Amino acid sequence: MIRKIQKWLNSLMNRVSSGIKRPVIPLISVTIFLLAALFLPLQSKASESKRLTVALTGKYPPFSFYDPNGELAGFDVDVSRGVARELGQELEIVTTEWDGILAGLLAGKFDAIIGSMAITTERQKQVDFSIPYYVSGAQLFVNAENDEQIGSIDDLAGRRVGVVLGETFEHYLTETHPEIETVTYKSTVDIYQEMLNGRLVGFVTDRLVGGYQIKSAGMPFRPAGKLLYREQMGIPVAHGHPELLAQINRALTHLEKSGSMADLNRKWFGPAASDTVAIHSFAMSNRTITIRLLQGFGVTIGIAFISLLCGFLLAVPAGVVLNSKPSPLLLLVRTTVDFVRGTPVLIQLFFIYFGAPQIGLTLSPLTSAVITLSINGAAYMAEVVRSGLMAVPPGQKLAAKALGLSNFKVFRFVVWPQAFRIAIPALVNSAVALLKDTALVSVISVAEVLRQAQSIISVTYNPMKYYFIVALMFFVFTYPLMKFAGRWEKTLKKRGFADD
Amino acid sequence: MIKVNDLEFTYPDGTAVLKKVSLELSFDQEEHITAIVGRSGSGKTTLLQCLARFLMPKHGRIEIDGVAAHSMTEAQFRSKVGVVFQNLYLFPHLTVLDNLTLAPVHVTGMAEKLAEQKAREILERVGVGDQADSYPAQLSGGQAQRVAIARALLLKPDFLLLDEPTSALDINTTNALAKLLQSLGGSTNFIIVTHDIPFVRKVAHRAVLIRDGRVVTHDTVESVMELFQQEEKQAEQVNAQ
Repeated sequence: MIRKIQKWLNSLMNRVSSGIKRPVIPLISVTIFLLAALFLPLQSKASESKRLTVALTGKYPPFSFYDPNGELAGFDVDVSRGVARELGQELEIVTTEWDGILAGLLAGKFDAIIGSMAITTERQKQVDFSIPYYVSGAQLFVNAENDEQIGSIDDLAGRRVGVVLGETFEHYLTETHPEIETVTYKSTVDIYQEMLNGRLVGFVTDRLVGGYQIKSAGMPFRPAGKLLYREQMGIPVAHGHPELLAQINRALTHLEKSGSMADLNRKWFGPAASDTVAIHSFAMSNRTITIRLLQGFGVTIGIAFISLLCGFLLAVPAGVVLNSKPSPLLLLVRTTVDFVRGTPVLIQLFFIYFGAPQIGLTLSPLTSAVITLSINGAAYMAEVVRSGLMAVPPGQKLAAKALGLSNFKVFRFVVWPQAFRIAIPALVNSAVALLKDTALVSVISVAEVLRQAQSIISVTYNPMKYYFIVALMFFVFTYPLMKFAGRWEKTLKKRGFADD
Repeated sequence: MIKVNDLEFTYPDGTAVLKKVSLELSFDQEEHITAIVGRSGSGKTTLLQCLARFLMPKHGRIEIDGVAAHSMTEAQFRSKVGVVFQNLYLFPHLTVLDNLTLAPVHVTGMAEKLAEQKAREILERVGVGDQADSYPAQLSGGQAQRVAIARALLLKPDFLLLDEPTSALDINTTNALAKLLQSLGGSTNFIIVTHDIPFVRKVAHRAVLIRDGRVVTHDTVESVMELFQQEEKQAEQVNAQ
């Protein structure tokens, strides 16, 4: 049954991608897809047999990145394929943000992480690591064009040094070099930008990755000093899966012995290979970029639309309750609304995405996103509905009652139509806010437009351009909405609403 | 006939507004308009609110054609007694026509076509037949007043209560309203709460004077108005001193 639904969803998604030429169809399809996703039985991916689900970021070239065709490629991707082949299992790769990747593993979203994760005692408390599959180390890089004579990390006391949030380098720097100001970033792309802007004097990253990225991005950075320390990269699995761990270890050993690992090393880090990849990484075609941005925006609009709909349907009864006389129900709704409005959406999102598995619900990223945004939107819109209802003069209700209308009909035909019209401008503002909030769900690896842009940027190294395009896409949608809200307010005044 | 017996009303803060009010308002073909007058704060609006069953008196009893008002169902009561508020409260999101047909269609279950036809007839009768498709905000004060009266009349109430109907009208529209109300005699009787003496003189057949929550007199318009005018003059002198 699950398989059938997945197959149906896949074909839907294919239609979504092929429908890009006809812009209306993808939107409808995405909406249907999202609706379907909401009501799908919840199933842990990791529990399926004969299929190995691994996670990596897809933003860590040359270990994982998107090639010009938009396909995942890199050393870690090849190792994943090798391991799956050795295990005789079908491979599924999930891309997710680095700072949530361990939480995802613990929540059972995937079986293993093959994403260049260093083996540390800290991490070993949470997960079991395989034997190391490669060795690298932390390296300080500085601006090559800088006149300063920076020989090593010891020359940087009091200076700003960048690291990617959640990587072991951050921990290392703050622990062993407290004299340095350690600054964290989402990705190396941001760090490069900050280096060029002169806000950072250096950054610490993996020796192999740094060397590769600097070269392929044509950045004027050079390594300074020796390796800060060595790191062994392993494949973590959640505690309590000794069989899987043993299988992975066997697979790695076999890949090593058969010479496949050496081939991969040559392919990605040998002198010839590195140049080839460098050319590729700059050559993501405009067509691929356009398709991915449009697909991403389709998902964005779909999420926003469904969340808005669900949120509104929740907001109407909630708003009515908020406008009622004191009761336990009012207290409950009031507290809930205040709590949701008074806490960051991002935390709510994490709470639902990472928290739900702990009570036995494994929600897909998309479902988590829609649920979070629906609840959040509902809380804000409930307040809007409440103030809309309050703005209807009490005399309107009285006049309707004087005509003999029942309480329900008074609400249905007299109070609600006026409250709704009064609330429209504020509701549109809520819709605009909700649309913008969808950008947050990129952190739980929903392939909406911001996440698509980020992965494009990880290949093209052009954050300004693509963030601007994404901003523009949002604006094209939100601007007419805001204009409409403004016009409507004028119409309301002309029609004499909420005048007593 | 509306019969009020020993009606008392006290607001939650303890202010007694109506003190043992007893009244018999009877109407006939010739005399279908009674005015209830009094200075502001006299309790006349509270009396209207009780007559309209928006306020429930603690003591006393109101009978509509011999039946106790408090024993009637909401539907029974509303079919007998209509109200036109000082602020009119036309529904701003509905056209004039829809303002009129809302109750017949959704309360008495009248067919929409029939309700529309009757609404147009009555709009014609009160002189705003050409405004059927306008929205309330597009109407003048006098037109809005007529629409509000038409909306109440369409339900054919036996008694129609009007609260300060001239407060927003100029002298010409006030005169026109007086003429209109006089022409509407027959099936509906009007009870007008107001302090507009010239209007009462023009329109009413009988009048009631209320002072400090008590009925002072219930008589012909002329005698009641004389008393009321004296009262007004005295009050002015007190203010002037």
